[in-house]
Amino acid sequence: MRIYKTRIDDTLNPSPLLLKNRDTTPHHSDTTPPLTNNFGSGSPLQHQPVIEMIRGGKSFVSSPPAFSNDAKKLLVCTGNTVSVFSTDTGLQVADLEGHTALVTSVIVVPSSTPANALLCYCWTTSLDGTIRYWDFSVSELIKTVDIQLPVYSMVIPSFLDRQSENSETQPDTYAYISVEDTKTEQNKQRNLRGQIRKCNLSKSRLVRGAILSETKKPEKITISSNGKYFGVHEKRKIRVWEVPTKDGKNISHRNIKLTHTKNLSCIAFHPTDRIVAAGDATGRILVWRGFGDKTFADKDLENEKVSKDEDDKPGVRGEGDADSCTTWHWHSSEVKVLYFSSDGAYLFSGGKEGVLVGWQLDTGKKKFLPRIGTPLLSFTSSPDSSLSSISCADNRIHILKMPRMEILKSISGIKLPTPVPDMFRGSCNDFVFDRTAGLVAVRTENYCIQFYSLFDDREISEVQVCERNHQPSDDVTMILNLVALSFDGSVMCTVETRMAEEGIGGFVTLKFWDRRSQNNDYNLSTIIYEPHRDAGVSAVAFHPTRCMAASASYGGDFKVWVSNHDIQPNDKLIQRTRWACHAVGSYQKKPMTAAAFSNDGSVLAVAAETVVTLWDPEKNVLVAVIGSTREPIGNLSFIGDSGFLASASHGANPQLSVWDMSKLSVSWSYKLHVEAIASSDKDSHFAVLVLLPEPSNAEVATSHNADGAILLFNAGEPVAVASWFVTKAKGGGLAFIQSRSLDDNMDENDNPGSGLLAYVNGDHEYAIFNPHGLETQERKVRHTDSVPSLEVTGQSGYASIYGKLPEFKLNAIEASAETVTPSERPWETIFSGPSHSLPPLTKLCSAFLESLLEKRSGDGLVK
Amino acid sequence: MAINDKQTFTIKPKLKPTTKKSSSTPEQKYWKSFKSKEPQPLISSITSLAFSPTSPHDFAATHSATVTIFSSQTLQPKSTISAFKDTATSGCFRSDGLLLAAGSLSGLIQIFDVKKRAPLRKLSGHTRPVHFVTYPRVDKLHLFSGGDDSVVKYWEVWSGTHRSFTGHKDYVRCGDGSPVNDHMFVSGSYDHTVKFWDVRESSNSSALVLSVDHGAPVEDVVYLPSGGLVASAGGNSVKIWDVIGGGKLLHSMECHNKTVTKLCVAKIGDDGRNGDFGNQFRIMSVSLDGYLKVFDYSRLKVTSSIRYPKSLMSVAFSPDGSTRVVGSSNGDLYAGKRKTSENAESVKSEWGKYVGFGAIDEPEKRVLRPSYFRYFHRGQSEKPSKGDYIITRPKKVKLAEHDKLLKKFHHKEALVAALTAKNPENVVAVMEELVSRKKLLKCVSNLGTDELGLLLSFLQKYSTMPRYANVLIVLAKKVVENRVEDISGSEELKGYVRNLKRSVAEEIRIQESLQEIQGMISPLLKIAGRR
Repeated sequence: MRIYKTRIDDTLNPSPLLLKNRDTTPHHSDTTPPLTNNFGSGSPLQHQPVIEMIRGGKSFVSSPPAFSNDAKKLLVCTGNTVSVFSTDTGLQVADLEGHTALVTSVIVVPSSTPANALLCYCWTTSLDGTIRYWDFSVSELIKTVDIQLPVYSMVIPSFLDRQSENSETQPDTYAYISVEDTKTEQNKQRNLRGQIRKCNLSKSRLVRGAILSETKKPEKITISSNGKYFGVHEKRKIRVWEVPTKDGKNISHRNIKLTHTKNLSCIAFHPTDRIVAAGDATGRILVWRGFGDKTFADKDLENEKVSKDEDDKPGVRGEGDADSCTTWHWHSSEVKVLYFSSDGAYLFSGGKEGVLVGWQLDTGKKKFLPRIGTPLLSFTSSPDSSLSSISCADNRIHILKMPRMEILKSISGIKLPTPVPDMFRGSCNDFVFDRTAGLVAVRTENYCIQFYSLFDDREISEVQVCERNHQPSDDVTMILNLVALSFDGSVMCTVETRMAEEGIGGFVTLKFWDRRSQNNDYNLSTIIYEPHRDAGVSAVAFHPTRCMAASASYGGDFKVWVSNHDIQPNDKLIQRTRWACHAVGSYQKKPMTAAAFSNDGSVLAVAAETVVTLWDPEKNVLVAVIGSTREPIGNLSFIGDSGFLASASHGANPQLSVWDMSKLSVSWSYKLHVEAIASSDKDSHFAVLVLLPEPSNAEVATSHNADGAILLFNAGEPVAVASWFVTKAKGGGLAFIQSRSLDDNMDENDNPGSGLLAYVNGDHEYAIFNPHGLETQERKVRHTDSVPSLEVTGQSGYASIYGKLPEFKLNAIEASAETVTPSERPWETIFSGPSHSLPPLTKLCSAFLESLLEKRSGDGLVK
Repeated sequence: MAINDKQTFTIKPKLKPTTKKSSSTPEQKYWKSFKSKEPQPLISSITSLAFSPTSPHDFAATHSATVTIFSSQTLQPKSTISAFKDTATSGCFRSDGLLLAAGSLSGLIQIFDVKKRAPLRKLSGHTRPVHFVTYPRVDKLHLFSGGDDSVVKYWEVWSGTHRSFTGHKDYVRCGDGSPVNDHMFVSGSYDHTVKFWDVRESSNSSALVLSVDHGAPVEDVVYLPSGGLVASAGGNSVKIWDVIGGGKLLHSMECHNKTVTKLCVAKIGDDGRNGDFGNQFRIMSVSLDGYLKVFDYSRLKVTSSIRYPKSLMSVAFSPDGSTRVVGSSNGDLYAGKRKTSENAESVKSEWGKYVGFGAIDEPEKRVLRPSYFRYFHRGQSEKPSKGDYIITRPKKVKLAEHDKLLKKFHHKEALVAALTAKNPENVVAVMEELVSRKKLLKCVSNLGTDELGLLLSFLQKYSTMPRYANVLIVLAKKVVENRVEDISGSEELKGYVRNLKRSVAEEIRIQESLQEIQGMISPLLKIAGRR
């Protein structure tokens, strides 16, 4: 386990927050403004509180991943780090940490010969303005090139050009990078912020004057797999450059432009021929054959080429330098992915439909990998093209077995937030927490609920709530509104809404799910159509101990549901639970906007717009009505056993109020825009996630571009106990979760009852930390302890002949007798494996003959 | 991280609410397993049914002026005895199954040879109709009878002499002999009493052992197999009495809604499939409300209830537990036989006897060669043995026509396919799917005249059904609005719209009357709630 010091970065900023009057004006005049009392009022950086923290929930699909040379590992850009996954198990193996901003591309240094296929070097670019060189087998940073401009994309042609590798003197490695020009002022006026520049990676500097083009925004560079051409697409045109064969100081880069009538979305180059394919926003795929015949052709051949008939260029628009242009149309919306197979026979395309289409390039025949169920974002192939990966918009990477297009493994990150139409903004919760198991249940786009382990940073399971196929359309007609989990996580309640088409159809469905024993799949137990007539459901709350739930609706009533187990004695004791309505209540026909059970379950609080009504859930008797706020209450939460109730209302006059249940009156309140409330079950602490009003007048906040804060309160006192700045707080959530018993060092020096605070931001990145701890140390998620074997042992190709490469260690000689296990009968395995990954036949022949004569083993090399 | 193989989801209709007792207990299954074929129409009300105590347990039904004897194997009539001047009642087999006694409304009791159908004895003594004739369980020489002259008689059959017991004050309609003692019997009468008699006592007063009051005219009374308990039926209730305990009322079963007409004791056959309730006894009761109820008197619980379309008059259950017969007031005889694997087998073996012409030589197993067609099919019908791990072929999702069309985004065709398939649930489900694709109104506007007619007739049929009304009423309105030109252009479509209008008007009438009822009830409820 490694322990890192926390940096000030964008997810969670552990500096104390000084709340002054200007920001959070308490609207009760008798309360004092909250002041952080345990950190004093010193400079934030001096008193940096250090808290142990687990983070995760990174996006895997922000940039295309890259395969290692042996196709056993997949390098995925995850936020500021690069995560290395095993393609065999789909689990994370290692992390490359060093970049301080989003990593935008990763390029693995290819191996020219199969012998050094185990080389594990890669280049990464990031928005922090650096390009770094890593050895990812040991997660070690080797070199950093600081170019001080945010890099959006990079290609390195010389890696792909096989001929240049043979020369003895290693030439400088040049890269073409797409950067955002943040320095020159004049570009801002011209509104051209993107530049494509050339960079000498060997000498760690930009090639002076080599600005190939300027665009409005930084574009993604695509390179052909033979390293001869690279290009970008910009609005309705493609620009293609030829990579100069000799890299000198003043080499002009010849380029051509190809135009189209629609906005282009992606391009791809044929690996051998001069063919470029581009997808446009309407779903068409354009294939230009023989581009750049005039411009890129060698000088001596030029005369012959020109003599060819100039007029006959079917399909090519304007002055485009290409022989012909053909159009394929299958996709109904924007093409996001284009990729030529390594032999150039197939073109793969994908888009919003979630279908991977393989086009036979000569005939245009299609084959499909359907039902991926989510828009595709990128496609990459391993060097030996036996595996490939598709990145999907739902933060999932599928690893495909290639010629068959069959999904082998899926690497799933936490699902990304789904867009919610405005009319449902109030009545949607993006995620709920399973406090005991440390899980978060995330609503996904395909009517699923993903259970994601916060401690392991890994998907646990997925529940299909509504059986409906993925429909590639823009407008949401059906939405999973609400998810609620009972306290032990054994029962789940979901609410889904189908929208009407001009008044026809459209209804709300309430579903109860129960979990059988300890396997994590939920089974549907009860469906209730239109639980509150045609009104939408605003909140669902579970009773802490009994099988009871309450659903509040905008239609002015709430219902209490109970489950009755009926055990059928005849066959195998099938236990079925049914949920039935136990009671209906309403208060002055007002819309019910929130509901919560008290911790002992004796009181049900339902917010009827601006007042809170308290009910006895058993007898369905109105016990009391308390207070009124200015805006409808959107969130209710009982605070532990303390006898306080916290409420939050949104709108023009947002308000956080804490009600004293013993006096039935407001205890204290602030004018704060509260996004989420979390209360611990044991003591009287609760935390709120607050959106900061305006960053304009901030002295502290803007430096970290934080837009929210987490405040930890003790229910009785209106002064915050602790506070943290956070980013992307909009749509975020908070919860107290129980720490794992395994993490003994996590809470050995603080009170055991309080548990950890989990914060999930609007992009579903999360952090777990101990709100009461004084020391912050970031801790990595321990992937290795739960993963028994990450690498699959199996020898083919090189290893079958020579055995494993010996490890050059001091003790290797003593241990060598055991370390190497060459196959007993190498003539059987010598020719196994894909033909392109085998050593050349001349080498194989001699090795084969030798293997018949004597056993060779790898330790011979050491001796 | 599991590989999730996504499957296609088909369009499913909304689920229907299920009742709580959706699944039946094993005993209910047992009683339901008596498969009734078409009811046998007999001439008039079946006054009694009786099984022969000897195998093959044929049974006799008295109806009109005849007694029909049925075979319990085929459930078909075997022979008919019609030597009655008036309606025959209360058929009863002797313990050896050779003789049959029956009463009649003329007051005459006759004894027949079952085989020859000839009346052997005619016992006249009752002056009024006889509704109760029965043999003792073992004794072959005596008979018990009771008549509307409120006299109970004990007959010596060979001599034709009888002894009368008086004590009842109204018609005697039923009775039963004790299963443990052939000298004891019980009789039930319309004077609400059940009286227990011992024929060994000489005087009339001492012969009356016990008398209990049922509280209603007693329609039937039976001894339970132990001989210590008696069940009596009268009014809507069946009561169980403890005879040994001095006529104590043990239980009163009140689950019929009309007069209980007949009782019988049924023994559940123990053929190894009945689990823990094999070889137990139940009371079966039939009533004018058309229900046959099975009552477990050890647990004091009604275990099964079967509804018949007519009021029931009589019931009998074969001693081997394989046949159940129920007779109704209009002469329909519901005979049900329980299917058992043994009798299926025995039928088969018998069948084989008739068909087989001696042993046919098994064809020699020839060695399969590639020149035979079967060679290429060898091993395909191999059954897996117990330890084998079976790799099942991935189940192919069967897609309905509309599902296939929806997958291809042929929306209008999908709607038409669902409409022609005529399953209203599926049609509404397809409509809901189209709504969520925002394509329903476009589909409606694209429909041709014939297809529009299809849709309109569907709307006319189902738009007032509460399950579908939510979607269909609004849709009907939109259809009429959008396609007004096409509808006015075609006579056929106009007819559909006229029908639609009529059904809507009908529905409005119903709703109005329901509202009236609600208006009447709600003040009552309010008053009731105030208490």
